[in-house]
Amino acid sequence: MIGTNRLNSTEDFTAALFRELRMIQPGVDDLAFYEFRYALENYFPDQGWESIVLIPNFEIEQMVEDRRFYESIEHKPKIGDRIVLDRKIFHLNQVLFAGLASNQYSVEWVKNLFYFDVRGFFFVPRNTYFTQDVLTHLRGKPYQIFKQKQRQLDRYQGVGYLDFMKANEEIDHAFIECIQRVIEAKGTPILITLAGPTAAGKTEITERLLAEFHKKGQKITSIEVDNFLLDREIREDKPMGKESTHFDIFINSLEEILKGNKIQIPRYDFVYGTSSHDLRGNLKPGCSSIEVEPADIIFMEGNFPFHIDEISRLIGIKVVYLTDDPIRLKRKWKRDIDYRKKYDPAYFLNRYFKTQFLRADEIYRPLMAVSEMVVDTTGAALWVSAEIRDLLS
Amino acid sequence: MDLLRDSDKVSEILFSKMKRFQPTIAELEFYEFKYGINEFVPERGWDSVTLESPSTLEAMVTSKEFYKGINIKPIVNGRIGLDEIVVTFQQKLFAGLALGCYSEDWVDKHFYFDPRSFMFYHRTDYFTAEIIGHLGGKPYRQFDRKQKKFDTRQELGYRDFKLSNLEVDNLFIQSAMKLTRFRGVPLIFAIAGQTAAGKTEIVDRLKEVFTREGFKVTSIEIDNFLTDRDEREEKGIHSEGKEALHLELFKQALMDIRAGKQVTTPRYNFIDGTSSHSLDGKLKPGGVPIDISPAEIIFIEGNFPFLIDEIAPLIGIKVVYLTDDPIRLKRKWRRDMDLRKKYDLNYFRNRFFKDQFIMAQVAYLPQLLTCDIAVDTTGSAFWATPEVKKSLDSN
Repeated sequence: MIGTNRLNSTEDFTAALFRELRMIQPGVDDLAFYEFRYALENYFPDQGWESIVLIPNFEIEQMVEDRRFYESIEHKPKIGDRIVLDRKIFHLNQVLFAGLASNQYSVEWVKNLFYFDVRGFFFVPRNTYFTQDVLTHLRGKPYQIFKQKQRQLDRYQGVGYLDFMKANEEIDHAFIECIQRVIEAKGTPILITLAGPTAAGKTEITERLLAEFHKKGQKITSIEVDNFLLDREIREDKPMGKESTHFDIFINSLEEILKGNKIQIPRYDFVYGTSSHDLRGNLKPGCSSIEVEPADIIFMEGNFPFHIDEISRLIGIKVVYLTDDPIRLKRKWKRDIDYRKKYDPAYFLNRYFKTQFLRADEIYRPLMAVSEMVVDTTGAALWVSAEIRDLLS
Repeated sequence: MDLLRDSDKVSEILFSKMKRFQPTIAELEFYEFKYGINEFVPERGWDSVTLESPSTLEAMVTSKEFYKGINIKPIVNGRIGLDEIVVTFQQKLFAGLALGCYSEDWVDKHFYFDPRSFMFYHRTDYFTAEIIGHLGGKPYRQFDRKQKKFDTRQELGYRDFKLSNLEVDNLFIQSAMKLTRFRGVPLIFAIAGQTAAGKTEIVDRLKEVFTREGFKVTSIEIDNFLTDRDEREEKGIHSEGKEALHLELFKQALMDIRAGKQVTTPRYNFIDGTSSHSLDGKLKPGGVPIDISPAEIIFIEGNFPFLIDEIAPLIGIKVVYLTDDPIRLKRKWRRDMDLRKKYDLNYFRNRFFKDQFIMAQVAYLPQLLTCDIAVDTTGSAFWATPEVKKSLDSN
C-alpha cells in the first residue's frame, strides 16, 4: 500500500505523476494536464491507486533482465473482443506510476531502467546493446563519433523517415565512406552482411550503400536470406537460423559465389509460406530456383544469426546497424501504425515490449561481439573491431 | 485509361500531384506514401474504378442519403473494416486525380486530405449565406489565422491549439464579460460546438475568469437529463434531441436557476445507462439526484444546447464555438486515439467521415442561425448578431 495521504485523491495522484514523468520524458511536457489525465485513466486500478502494492527495486531490476519475463508476455490478450495490453506490462506500469507518484521510486532509477513512450503511454525496459563483451571486441571506444542529432526527436511522438534521415546524415555518410575503405583493404569478392533491429533503418541504408557501390562501378549482387527459409509448416516458430533454413545449401552457395561461380538458390514464396526445395535440399517438382550471378560485392541484409561459426568465417564485413529502442518505436508508430495500418495498437505494444529484449539477447548482442562494424545511429557513433581498426590505420 | 493498369505509376503520379496541394504529403518519403495508399489500391486494379463527373460527386457528398448508407462497424474478416462506401469514394478520388479527370483545384476545393487517415473527407461549410446574413454580413473582428501552421501536422495536441486561438478566445471571454454586465445575472450561457472544437476547454477558461471576477459560476450537464438507455433504445431514439431527455425537468431546472433558486436535476449514469428518474419525471427509489446551488453564471455545454425550441428562450447567450473539420480530426487523433486509445481505427474513420456532414445539418447549421455569437477558431473570427454587436460597442 502507498502510505502517503496526499495520494488519496486521484487528481493529486495524477498531478504528482505528471510532474515526475515530465522529468523522465520531455515529450510529456507537451501534453496539457487534462490530456495526460485522459491517457492515465486507462490504467486506473479498480480499487484506486492506493491499492497498488509496490515491488522492491531489486526485484524489478531482476525481472527486466530475465528472458522468462518477456517470454511470458502474451501478444493478443483480449477483454471482450478487444485486444488489450498484456496483464504483466499493464501491472508493471501501474506499479511504476504508483511508485513515481509517491516518490518511492526515484526519477533517476526509473529513467535508468526504462524509457517512457508517450504515444504508447507506457514504460519499456531499456536494452543494453553495448555489453562488456561487445565493448571489448570494439576496443572500448568508437572509431568516429558525431553530434547526436536524434536528440531532437526525443519529444516527438512519432518519427517519419525524412526527419530520421536528416538526423543520421553524418553518421551514415561516415559509414558509407568507411566501408568503402574496408572493401579496398580486404579486396573482392567479398561478402557483406547487414543486420539490425526492426525500424533501425536497414532498408534505407542498404539502398544508399548499393547506389554508392554502383556509382563506383563495382559489381554487386544481393542475396535475400529469406529465400533460404524452410516451409512455414516445418519451421513452426523457430527463430531465423540453422534450424529454420536450408543451411547446407546456404553455406554451399556462399562458398561457391565467393569463388566467382554462378549459383542456384532456393526460392521462398511468402504468400504460401513454401520453399522451392524439399527438406533434403532437392528442387520440388514444378518449382524453380533463383540464379545468382557472381559479383565483386555480395550483399545480404536481414536478421540471420551471422555470428554462428560456419557462416561467420565466410563473411568479410559483418555490419550491425543500430538505432535505440525508443526511436525505433517512434518510427514504427509512424510507419507501421499510421501509414501501413498494419497492427492493432495494443498488439503492437505487447509485441514490441516482448521482442526487443529477446532479439537483442538472441541475435544482436552475440552478433555485435564478433562484428567488423557497428553503426549506432542514436549515439551517432561508428564502431569497428580491432582488426578493422588496424586495417584502416 | 491505360495509365491505371500500373499501380506503381498511379502512386507516383498521385504522390507528385498531391505534394502540390497537400503540405503533409510533401513531408513524406515516397515509400511512406506507398504504404499509405496501399490500403486503397483496388483488388482488380485502378482501372476497375468507375469514375463519375465532378458534379455527380459533389451532389453525392452533399446528400444525407450518402452518409446514412455508411456502416460505422462493418465486420470484415472478423475485424471492423473501413466501410465499402468510404473505400469506393476514396478510390474514385485517387483514380480521378491520377488521371486528371478531377483537377487538383477541384479536389482541394471540395475535400480535405487527412494524412493520418490517408483519406479525403468532404469539407463542411458552416458559414452559409443565410448564416452570414444572420451574423450581420461580416465578423465583428478577425485575427491572424494561426491554425494555418497546423496544415503540415498529422495530429494536434491541446497546447498548440490553445496558443493559436489565443486572440479570438480572449476577445470572446472579454465579450462574454461585457455582455454579462450589460444583461445582468443570473445568466445562462449555452455553448454548442462540434466534437473536439474546444468546447470544454473554453468553458473551463470562462469559468475561471468569471470566478476570478467574483461571480458564482456553475454548469448544468445536458447528459444528466438523458432518460434510461433501455427506454431510448426500445423506442429507437438517438441519444440527442428532446425525445431522449427529461424535457420537463430540464425546462423547470433552467427556469428555476434563472430565478436564482437552488435546483435538483436528475443524474445519468453512463456506465449502466440509467437515469435517477423514471420516465414520468419522478425520482426512482434509491435514485440520487444532483443538487446545484444558486449561481449567477450558468453554463450549458453540448452538441444541441439551444436546438430545442422549448429550451432556447430560457438561454441568455447562445454561442456556437466552431473549429474546422480537418483541425478537429487532427485533435481527435491525438486526444481520442493516441492518448485515450478509445476507438478502433476503422470505426473512428468511418464515424468521422459519416458524422460531420449529418451533425452540421441537424445541429450546427440550425444553431448558427439562431445563435448570438459564433466563434470560428480556424478562421480566427468572432461573429455576433447586430444586436450583440451593438451591446459590445456601447460603453
